[in-house]
Amino acid sequence: MSGPALEIRELKKEYEDVTALDGVSLTVPEGSFFGLLGPNGAGKTTFINILVGLVRKSGGTARVFGHDVEADYQEARNAIGLAPQEFNVDRFFPIREVLEHKAGYHGIPAHEARQRADEVLKQVGIYDKRDTRFDWLSGGMKRRFLLARALITDPDLLILDEPSAGVDVQLRRDLWDLVTELNEQGTTILLTTHYIEEAERLCDEVAILDSGSVRAVATPEELKGRGADRIVVELRSTPTEVPALLAGDDRVESVDLNGHKLEVTAREGGLVAPELVRELDRAGLEIVDLEIARTSLEEIFVEMTRTAERDATPDERASDAVDEDEPAEEQPVAPDGGRSEAVDR
Amino acid sequence: MSVVDRMAASAGVPTGFYTLVKREILRYVRRPRNTFVPPFITNVLYFSVFGVVLGDRVGEIIGVPYILFILPGLVVLGAVSNAFENASFSIFHGRWNEYIDETLTSPLSYAGMVWAYLLSSALRGVLVGTLISVLGVVIIGGLYQSVPVAQPLFLVAFMLVITLLFASLGIVGGLVAEDFDDLTMMNQFLLRPLVFFGAVFYSLGDLPPLLRDISLLNPMVYMVNGVRYGFLGVAEVDPLTSLAVLSGGAAVVVGLDIALFKRGYGLTD
Repeated sequence: MSGPALEIRELKKEYEDVTALDGVSLTVPEGSFFGLLGPNGAGKTTFINILVGLVRKSGGTARVFGHDVEADYQEARNAIGLAPQEFNVDRFFPIREVLEHKAGYHGIPAHEARQRADEVLKQVGIYDKRDTRFDWLSGGMKRRFLLARALITDPDLLILDEPSAGVDVQLRRDLWDLVTELNEQGTTILLTTHYIEEAERLCDEVAILDSGSVRAVATPEELKGRGADRIVVELRSTPTEVPALLAGDDRVESVDLNGHKLEVTAREGGLVAPELVRELDRAGLEIVDLEIARTSLEEIFVEMTRTAERDATPDERASDAVDEDEPAEEQPVAPDGGRSEAVDR
Repeated sequence: MSVVDRMAASAGVPTGFYTLVKREILRYVRRPRNTFVPPFITNVLYFSVFGVVLGDRVGEIIGVPYILFILPGLVVLGAVSNAFENASFSIFHGRWNEYIDETLTSPLSYAGMVWAYLLSSALRGVLVGTLISVLGVVIIGGLYQSVPVAQPLFLVAFMLVITLLFASLGIVGGLVAEDFDDLTMMNQFLLRPLVFFGAVFYSLGDLPPLLRDISLLNPMVYMVNGVRYGFLGVAEVDPLTSLAVLSGGAAVVVGLDIALFKRGYGLTD
């Protein structure tokens, strides 16, 4: 391996008149736990699919551990384990064999592939279903299987595309424990998610992607620092007017009096609060209670993507039409009425 | 690890390529009701109706009983249609259910992927062709005369080339199709007319000169005559010419398959 896990420069993807990715640049360090946050249609799945060869880029470069995803596609793909959103699994074979095949494609010999298949099935807790075909698994088990398939090749870069979508709390926590452990063992993890709590809890660094563009790259703490906290002070008595507090402190956005409650909105609320307490004391106002509500990553996310939407060009807004959760066009219907393996020739 | 796995490993066959070939073969071997029983039944019917019931009325063609005359054509029909159907279905069904992503996101080379689909599909064609041959040997041998294999090397060479050619065409079909109906259309409106006007059931010598010349544009004529030469030692088209034409055609279509995979045609956005 050489270079960062991911080195992306000016990555573009255009679908006729829709721009799905508009010059994305990112660097994901080796060994990090990196979150890619964004609303539906932001371009997250397009981004991932370019890395694994399911989407062809329109411009820019993408390297996986130094391997160009097009020129050195075999090396790049060998480094990646992907757990996608879609249930794109071979329906013809029991899941253990599907895993053995996937391992084989990555050059793992048959005897070792069987052993690894059993290991990862145990790791995700569905070993007892090893002889069952994918269609017969429950929704949660299907999600676990996708993770097992991503792990079977022991990837250096594990990509999880919305892994928590539609799973119960227990599975989500199991998943978090497992990927945290993998990350601690050195696996680089790229996580896309709608669940901000998930990113906040797991990721070292997050990028906010919206309408095909990166709006911010920072640690969750740094991002939260960019938002305003709310300090609510309950006073013994109600002042007759809003006291002149914290004048000249450019971190303070507003000071409002609501009965005997004083509400101060300020960035870095934890640092502003002591000064606020001192000034209230000097003004002779007795404090009964004080509470600091830290801004959440979710609020920052919503604020950033809303701002982006307001600023977006019509082209960027059109890219929302490329929504990874929704089929772009009507899908044809199989003779068996669905996408099952009942059609066999 | 099976004996075959060990043999492949010791022969130095790349693991990824071998795994995909194995997966493709297992898919149809484990479903004989879908893959081997239908051609068996169809050909019992062909031999019964065209050979036994109508054959005596037709008499001999190019010096052999009619049932023996049609045997090579039926072998070709079964072999190429199965090779085509296997490749086209496997690719299209994988696209439809998106599980072809498992292959596409792997470190297999594009040429490796194509050859894996080709060889497994061609093998299915050869297996079905062999099944029909054995059926012919039993029925014709039991009722009329033993079935000769006059030119075994030609027979093997033609069987390999024609199944490879139609497997490669099947890959194109699987990539181009946008619906299951498209696959049915290809079979009904392309493959079957070629077969029925491919001198399977009649001799080229029975056609007027113009139709005979037009027939020579049909690749099926070369295939049927090549395989007929392998069985009977007689053909209406020079077997070496046939082999050269078919090999050239197969090389071109295999090249097209690899180019389409590299471009991601029908596979990537």
